[in-house]
Amino acid sequence: MDMTRPIVEMREITKTFGSTRALKGVDFTVAPGEVHALLGRNGAGKSTLVSALSGFTPADSGMIRIANVEIEANGRDYSSAIRDVIAHVQQKPQLFDLLTVAENLFVESGSVRNRFGLVSHRAMHDGASRLLQEWKMNIKPESLAGELKPGSRQLLEIVKALRRGVPVIILDEPTAALGASEKHILFEHVKSLKQSGVSFVYISHHLDEVFEVADNVTVLRDGQIVAARRPVADLDVQTLANLMMGSKTTRSVRFDHGDYNARPLLKATDILISPTSPVPINFEVRPGEIVALAGPVGGGKENLAMILAGQQKPFRGEITGNGGLPRIGFVPTDRHASGYVGMLGVRENIGLGGLDVLSGDLGFIDASHETSLVRDLVGKTDVIASSVEQAVGQLSGGNQQKVVFARALVRDPQVFIALSPTRGVDVGAKEQLYGLLRDLAARGLGVVVVSDEEDEINVLANRVVIIFDERATGELTGDYRMEDLILRMEGVA
Amino acid sequence: MQQEAARMGRDDVKESRLSGLGNAFLAQGFTMYPVLLLLVVVGAFVAPRFLTYANIINILEQVSVLGLTTIGLTFVLLIGRVDLSLEGIVGFAPMLAAITLVPAAAGGLGVQLPGWVGLVVALGTAGLIGAFNGFLVIRVGLNPFISTLGLLVLLRGGVLIVSNGRSIYSPGAEFVFLGSAKIVGLPVSVLVFLATALAVGVVLQYHRYGRALYAIGGNEEAARAAGINVDRMIWSAFVFASLLAGLAGVLLTGRLDSAVTTQGQGIIFSAFAAAVIGGVSLGGGRGTIVGVVSGVLLIGVINNLLTLAQVPSFYVQASTGAVIVIAAILTTLANRRSGGVRTRT
Repeated sequence: MDMTRPIVEMREITKTFGSTRALKGVDFTVAPGEVHALLGRNGAGKSTLVSALSGFTPADSGMIRIANVEIEANGRDYSSAIRDVIAHVQQKPQLFDLLTVAENLFVESGSVRNRFGLVSHRAMHDGASRLLQEWKMNIKPESLAGELKPGSRQLLEIVKALRRGVPVIILDEPTAALGASEKHILFEHVKSLKQSGVSFVYISHHLDEVFEVADNVTVLRDGQIVAARRPVADLDVQTLANLMMGSKTTRSVRFDHGDYNARPLLKATDILISPTSPVPINFEVRPGEIVALAGPVGGGKENLAMILAGQQKPFRGEITGNGGLPRIGFVPTDRHASGYVGMLGVRENIGLGGLDVLSGDLGFIDASHETSLVRDLVGKTDVIASSVEQAVGQLSGGNQQKVVFARALVRDPQVFIALSPTRGVDVGAKEQLYGLLRDLAARGLGVVVVSDEEDEINVLANRVVIIFDERATGELTGDYRMEDLILRMEGVA
Repeated sequence: MQQEAARMGRDDVKESRLSGLGNAFLAQGFTMYPVLLLLVVVGAFVAPRFLTYANIINILEQVSVLGLTTIGLTFVLLIGRVDLSLEGIVGFAPMLAAITLVPAAAGGLGVQLPGWVGLVVALGTAGLIGAFNGFLVIRVGLNPFISTLGLLVLLRGGVLIVSNGRSIYSPGAEFVFLGSAKIVGLPVSVLVFLATALAVGVVLQYHRYGRALYAIGGNEEAARAAGINVDRMIWSAFVFASLLAGLAGVLLTGRLDSAVTTQGQGIIFSAFAAAVIGGVSLGGGRGTIVGVVSGVLLIGVINNLLTLAQVPSFYVQASTGAVIVIAAILTTLANRRSGGVRTRT
């Protein structure tokens, strides 16, 4: 590695979102021609740090230097100043779906313009063909970006960045949608660019990749650095897990109300989530248990939960119950998109969970039944609002989520499926929602929770099923350790 | 402390009564009634004949057809879509009915079905067109603006085809009854309009169908996640809209005692105007029948006042347009202040 001046220097970087301090004074350096892996649990601050580096989400304070550009961060946008020295490939491809592959690749590039500033389509097409060939991508430059398979989209996003000739490139979970051969090509290109002096900041859940391609590792935990610039050769999986998790012993107080002798309430048999799912999934939910579906984003856990809830059809396989499907209470993953109707009040939103339950034979809503049911559920979930008529769009995130929970309980469900149950919810409401889920299990419901937060899973679930690349790769039961959970979620058996 | 006070069920803590009332006022659709009242007062001074029983009935009769069409349109607007074909249905449905009723010599098919069957044909045709609209939007996935626009033009042409380009006179006593008869001094058409407004208003407010409509308009994905059959609801909204437009067409034909080839032309503009003035949001999820009625009445009163004040007919259209813009601005401002949730007008 070069001993010359680092190509990236970050000093005392802080970032706060509302009441959450995501980065608490972080220092970070990258040398030229280095592949530097950034590791940490979900929520440790990795994406926030690299977003601060690329200017996508400006840091609140601290100093950032990339090549010769130096920035004093103050919360204001500085992305234009560093645009020419850094490229940021985000977890979700940011392509222009309605433009062609060629147009996406060259959208900001001066190299395809003639001296009048007009774009030469011939130049774009030829340039794109060359790149696609180099990367062994079997797609035409004229294809629309929106039509590509997820793997190609991700690769395209990466190619776009690598083509730009910038000295620093951030790759955030670049292999989530890639197949083995595509990964191989990516690593080859990374290695060759490294030789010519380009540096990479590499974030990935796949620890095996880190060992394959990275030179140094920095570990973040709770917004702070716990290990800086450690050579990858000096590390092993166990050490990394310890660093990521911290040394506190997490003995969770988990109650197990599961009735494992009873017939399953809901059964998924030979489920293939999509045509490319490798192995069928079998899954059961029993009364009284809280089972979590865990795994990396995009690995299929959410899809499986949606299939269980009947919100999505599987490519193959079936969902059955104990003599007919059970009543299912469903909390969707994004409450803003599909959890509540912002302009309607708390009462009306909750009522949506069971309009047929609330109405008489002719279909007219029974006001008194509605009032008592809403009052009951509001009490159970502890929604705080000025009245049941207040528009849910005006409530805090935690209370909005409670309304969604209440809506899911109207039909007195037997199975409760909650996706990201406490995403964007304050600590107090989080605890209340956990209590609610435990109560449901205690009352004999089968509870399925899908979450990205290891703490949350650890605190709630008696059983954890790991879903990775659309298959069930493992299961943890009983008194499992947090360590095991994290490692499984990182793709290490 | 503040959290305690905000907990629900505490009767001693209410938000300022005045602002609560104000919000309810706006939410229920009463926004335009003060304006209407103002106009009525102005009208009473400007034109002495304005506040007579006969004139009021006249206004109501004039707006019945527009009123039914607007209520129909409201079904579709509430779920965040549009239906331009309603105008075409107002013309086509009665025309098709008419040719089944009158003898061949008068331009009909010669089947000469009994009068009440003609009504069934008119409403049935309207309903089928609505179902077709729903099909194009849901199954084929067309943008409702384009599909209903196409239907509109198609139906305009259809009227000419089935009638051979000539209006058909005196289709039947049943039509005349609905369109021009009077019961205890009140025109049947007005009674039909008011009864429909009442029925639809009650359904939107108190029936699960209405609740589901508002939910879909407010957040379609949330409605779907809650278990509402969104596709079926969208379909039904288009069907109800068309049925009401068909009924409006029947009333109009009855009033004129003929199915005119140009029947209904231009009504869709007024219907949109009345709906928006009445507080129906073009983005969906917002609007009441109380408001729609106020919008319809406003248009009717303005037209009437301008006529009574003997404003030259050239000015009537422009003035109505000006009023529509002003009223839409007022409604939008009122909506924004009350809901706190921004929507398109």
